[in-house]
Amino acid sequence: MSATMDKNEGGFRAWLNKRLPVDQFMADQLTGYYAPKNFNIWYFFGSLALLVFVMQIVTGIFVTMHFKAGEATAWNSVQYMVREVPYMWLIQPMHAVGASFFFIVVYLHMARAFMYGSYKGPRELLWVIGMLIYLALMAEAFMGYVLPYGNMSYWGAQVIINLFGTIPGIGPDLVEWIRGDYGIGDATLTRFFSLHVIALPFIIALLVLLHLVALRQVGSNNPDGIEIKENLGADGKPKDGIPFHPYYTLKDIVGVGLFLTLFAIVVFFVPTFGGLFMEAPNFEPANPSSTPEHIAPVWYFTPYYAILRAVPDQKLGALLMALSVAAFLFVPWLDRAKNKSIRYRGLASKLLLAVFFITFLMLMWLGLKPADGIYVLLARIFTVLYFAFFILLPFVSKADGNGPVPDRVTYDAH
Amino acid sequence: MSDHAADDTVPEVDESRRKFLIAATAGTGAVGAVLTAVPFVASWNPSESARAAGLPTEVDLSKIEPGQMATFFWRKQQIYVVKRTPEMLATLSAHDGQLKDAKSEKSDQPVYAKNDQRAIKPEVLVLIGTCTHLGCLPKTRFTPGDASVMANWPGGFFCPCHGSKFDLAGRVFEGSPASVNLKIPPYSFEGDNKLIIGVDAPAKGVA
Amino acid sequence: MTPTKIAIVLGGLALLSGAVSANEGGHAGWQRPAENEISNLPSLQRGARNFMSYCSGCHSLKFVRYSRLAEDLKISDSLRDQYIVKPGDKFSDYIKASMPAADAQEWFGKPPPDLSLVARSRGSDWIFNFLTTFYADPNSRQTGVNNLQLPGTAMPHVLASVQGVQNAVWTAVEHKGEDGKATVAQEFKTFEPGVVGSLDKEQYDEFARDIVNFLQYASDPTQVERQGMGVWVVLFLLMFTGIAYMLKKEYWKDVR
Repeated sequence: MSATMDKNEGGFRAWLNKRLPVDQFMADQLTGYYAPKNFNIWYFFGSLALLVFVMQIVTGIFVTMHFKAGEATAWNSVQYMVREVPYMWLIQPMHAVGASFFFIVVYLHMARAFMYGSYKGPRELLWVIGMLIYLALMAEAFMGYVLPYGNMSYWGAQVIINLFGTIPGIGPDLVEWIRGDYGIGDATLTRFFSLHVIALPFIIALLVLLHLVALRQVGSNNPDGIEIKENLGADGKPKDGIPFHPYYTLKDIVGVGLFLTLFAIVVFFVPTFGGLFMEAPNFEPANPSSTPEHIAPVWYFTPYYAILRAVPDQKLGALLMALSVAAFLFVPWLDRAKNKSIRYRGLASKLLLAVFFITFLMLMWLGLKPADGIYVLLARIFTVLYFAFFILLPFVSKADGNGPVPDRVTYDAH
Repeated sequence: MSDHAADDTVPEVDESRRKFLIAATAGTGAVGAVLTAVPFVASWNPSESARAAGLPTEVDLSKIEPGQMATFFWRKQQIYVVKRTPEMLATLSAHDGQLKDAKSEKSDQPVYAKNDQRAIKPEVLVLIGTCTHLGCLPKTRFTPGDASVMANWPGGFFCPCHGSKFDLAGRVFEGSPASVNLKIPPYSFEGDNKLIIGVDAPAKGVA
Repeated sequence: MTPTKIAIVLGGLALLSGAVSANEGGHAGWQRPAENEISNLPSLQRGARNFMSYCSGCHSLKFVRYSRLAEDLKISDSLRDQYIVKPGDKFSDYIKASMPAADAQEWFGKPPPDLSLVARSRGSDWIFNFLTTFYADPNSRQTGVNNLQLPGTAMPHVLASVQGVQNAVWTAVEHKGEDGKATVAQEFKTFEPGVVGSLDKEQYDEFARDIVNFLQYASDPTQVERQGMGVWVVLFLLMFTGIAYMLKKEYWKDVR
């Protein structure tokens, strides 16, 4: 796709490139960056995550124009904006639904890493940076949910902030420090507003940039888990690589189109998604005297919430919940297989991973349910299975993932 | 272009098809981008509340003394309502040569206010109290002969920011930084003593 | 399909079915779906008028303006001023309750809640059942009635003149407790006509349905417009995706 350069354009381009390395950047990062040619559907979610990030920022900028942070004003300002400001009835739900879609994309993105061993060396740091993004994102989403100050905003904040009280010694003081008051109120809301609008987006943006630089440094993994840089052609380029531009730019555009179609269906037709994306109790203003029947965090937190509730002891439950998130950080070193991809590991590894995925989803479902009856037993079983994955991984991977791997990727034309 | 690990012969690249598809995709994408921008840009338009607050303002004219001015708010703007005496009205015709736009050709006023008195009823002057230079509030200088304003001052308005001068119909004097006469909002009367700022008078011909 | 993919699909289905059931809630036998049609304009108009006549004495719709309501429901200015706008209010005002909050607190124990969002927090079905399941209860000292959807409600049967006041018929049902001891509980069986109102059962159901419909509109005034726009947006996006896909396929012919 070489552009026809007329004299003027050549002039401007030359002028620009003398001052900013535009052409160099394009050549290095796009047409000159070779990615494996066997990417499948699981490889859309990185670029989609970037898309959702941009969408949240843009819709967030507009929502912030009308939101009035403050105990007495927050709830009213949200109603005012969606009812009286032109088109905010569309933009505000885009922001709320976008948060849930962000996590759908991120979880699928993480699942890919598990299936193809994308966290294994030399990509351990890429994985760690990704986990830091995940943690920052969880904080960002939590604070964002508190801002409208509905009844679930209030009580959800109450439960989560109280968790910090379980930390031995500093717990109670820490809780008061986070809240800025003896109870959740104005002080908490205004500081969450600042963190949600400026501090965390900034941090996330920097982490995303680092994530992309780290990826560029080591190159992408692929579904076969073999390093394409180990097999170079006569031109010095990987035999199994193709230039990112135009092949993956064009492919990612199709992914964007499909994603936006799904997103539009939800935003325009089922924005609350059956109460999963916007919970019914949050259509009532915050009421410190009245707890909703079932306090549950939004669905993307419920796996960890299920683990918290599964443990009968409050302190131990909080600790296990924290560990369940932290465990992800160690996976690059827990996985001791030679082969990266699940395709070239044995049945034991495949079973272990399948059970882990089912466990995660089951815990997610259980976290949404009330904590009584059979759900308690199930939550305990799946909590054990969850941690079993991380404990067994070093042994299963060592035993199971050492067979032969092909030296060329498997590719079917499409 | 198609630089990759190919072992077979490279098939013919249909450049024209590629150009067409690029144009189709880019074109549709551009249309989509513009359509997406519409709700965001439109959200800056005045909201329901702004429009509700922008409803007409009613003025009881019996409360204003002849020769006096009262100010009101309409759509976030200061509105000057002046009860003009016959003496004030008499000054209007004597200085056309010193005005930039004596016939209000270039200024912004409703059609029923485009006359020599710039009003429906000569004794009631309604102006938007914003200097047409850079937006300050012009001050009243109703006393004729006030030499501090200028020689042979007929009475009118003086803007303290940059020195623009307007007569008792809001028309701008030569030598002022402002270039057009003061604006007039839509207004109408209900009975003898009620002025409605914000509602146009029904078209009945020039009053 | 790899085992992991199968696991994911199964897990996803389990999650979705769980999500759906999580939101249906328990359905007692007497609960009926509201079955209101949000795009039915005459129903919404009747509902607005009914609400203003019977409900707005105590319940505010503090986020709804008369002017916006009339515009959305296509009620003319004169009808709006006659049947919707309260005397003394401007047509651009928000809808306030007539009863002072302090008095309501004293008389009912808690102020009647604002209903701008009740259709989203409780759901249309809940409101429909609330309006239709009032019954005479001699044990209720304050109001003389009780309610199946919200037992012990402090709200009197405001619509008694319209629905009448029905009687509830209970059956004694035996439950075996955990300790083996048998307990007898009263379970609702059916309603019996009691005091007659101005409307019969079917007419009252529609009356209540109109109010529910109006409240659903009030909780989300742009839902119809949103869905209409959504059709075009989705169609456009599908078209764009199709064209982008053709472009992708064309270039990927290079890759073998």
